[in-house]
Amino acid sequence: MIEVKNLTRHFDTIKAVDDIAFSIREGEIVGFLGPNGAGKTTTLRMLVGYLQPSAGTITIMDKDINEEPLAIAREIGYLPEHSPLYDDMAVYDYLQFIAEIRHMDKAKFADRLDYVIDKCGLREVIGQQVQTLSKGYRQRTGLAQAILHDPKVLILDEPTSGLDPNQIMEIRDLIKELGREKTVILSSHIMQEVQAVCDRIIIINKGKIIADELKENLGRQISGQTILTAEIEAEDPDFEPWLAAHPEASLQSSSSQDNHWKLVFSYPAEADLQRDLSQFIASRQWLILSMFKQQQSLEEIFHVLTTETETIPEPEPEKPLQEDKEDADA
Amino acid sequence: MRDIMTIARKEMKSYLNSVSTYIVFVVFLLLSGWFFSTLMFKAGKAELRQLFTILHMVYLFFIPALTMGMISKEKSTQTIELLATLPIRLRSIVWGKFMAAFGLLFLILLFTLVHLLTIMIFGENLDYGSILGGYLGMAIAGAAYCAIGIFASTLHSNQILAFIIAFVISLFFYGLQYVLVLLPAGTVDFFQYLTFDYHLQNFLKGVIDTRDVIFFGSIIAAFMLLAEFMLKLNNRMQEK
Repeated sequence: MIEVKNLTRHFDTIKAVDDIAFSIREGEIVGFLGPNGAGKTTTLRMLVGYLQPSAGTITIMDKDINEEPLAIAREIGYLPEHSPLYDDMAVYDYLQFIAEIRHMDKAKFADRLDYVIDKCGLREVIGQQVQTLSKGYRQRTGLAQAILHDPKVLILDEPTSGLDPNQIMEIRDLIKELGREKTVILSSHIMQEVQAVCDRIIIINKGKIIADELKENLGRQISGQTILTAEIEAEDPDFEPWLAAHPEASLQSSSSQDNHWKLVFSYPAEADLQRDLSQFIASRQWLILSMFKQQQSLEEIFHVLTTETETIPEPEPEKPLQEDKEDADA
Repeated sequence: MRDIMTIARKEMKSYLNSVSTYIVFVVFLLLSGWFFSTLMFKAGKAELRQLFTILHMVYLFFIPALTMGMISKEKSTQTIELLATLPIRLRSIVWGKFMAAFGLLFLILLFTLVHLLTIMIFGENLDYGSILGGYLGMAIAGAAYCAIGIFASTLHSNQILAFIIAFVISLFFYGLQYVLVLLPAGTVDFFQYLTFDYHLQNFLKGVIDTRDVIFFGSIIAAFMLLAEFMLKLNNRMQEK
């Protein structure tokens, strides 16, 4: 569906996107995840033909973006970052304008308008001037614009930025629903978002892809460690024999209250020791109260990956802090 | 063509919904009306020549004010990203904007018909040929200024800067007639050919010469091509 090869983009001397390649199959929901300034928006802008790549090729639906940009633009719905809109238009007029440019006939427009108003929750504001809309409604109007013509590919740049938690949930559900029939690419710097919505996650940092995995695999493959927490009831349990038998595992901590022990083990993700451990505990006649396996969360993986790749330590630690603050505000 | 009209319609609509358009209109009509009435009664001639001369001067401010936001505003609000990623050619975008600007110009020229009405009532033996020629000339010269304004608007996201650039370029074509005497003798013919006024004079006499039409036509085409080129360059977009 979408093939990207050796894609590079310079801005003067800065390499915003540095020789990345990926391919996206039909029906996938792919999330681009990365800190601010990682090259997400630049990549998406090149995908929709707004920015000319410095090098590399982009093929969407077997069409080269340099050869047939108009044909590709017809199949794509795009929500740019910050959802730019014409402030002096009413929401209805705006959507009608988009429909006219997309050469939709009246009947199809009426049909689709009903659908997008319903899906994006625009019924209350349809006659309102865009400049009077709240951030959430602006974002939804932008999304309505992107899905108006029922595109096969949806490209959304930070679709939930600036929304309140309820709206975020609604938009996520909508994206998931759209993703059943469409190929969706979205970017975000919020991990829970891509975790909640996407099938596949591409982590990008400093213009390079540092991970491209299905959501389930990402945690397992990169984290390296599984954390197993067990609560047992026993008198002075001794795990030395088990640990000796499994040198890859280690006891991270143990604490007790009377006979109630809480133990935290860690072992490489590819080893599956949970079953083995519970059998060991059972053989000693100890009682298992609870046991749960934890994989490193995406957030931790993200943090590890995006900081590990820095070869030179950043001299200004204030910057990411500010960005965090922005996210919190958003 | 359909895309051009879609853009033009949208643009006209939003301009006619905006207060600033009406302010520009009112200032234009006040200026031209005031000059017209003082000069007409002094000269005592039943013709619109003075009006057209004044209109031409007022164009220098009026048209850049009209066109300054056409593309620079799209840039400052980033809606250009939206527009450029829709299935529409960049050429259609700039020509749509041009048509909108020309439509507004046409509208304001309609308002000046009130001056024609005045001299039709008070004057005798009107030369309708020269009046018609004059209006045609004003329309086509205005279109050329519109193209200059659209081009200037593509250069920067700041509207005021777009206005100043459009004004300076327009001033070159307008003011050249006054500095011709200072130029070296051999180059006068060439520079005179570039002045808008030189070509307008024929229209004002009621003579529609294809050479003048071609001149304005090439000015329009040249600046519109430049505008399209600037959009491609600035946004680093591919040929669409």
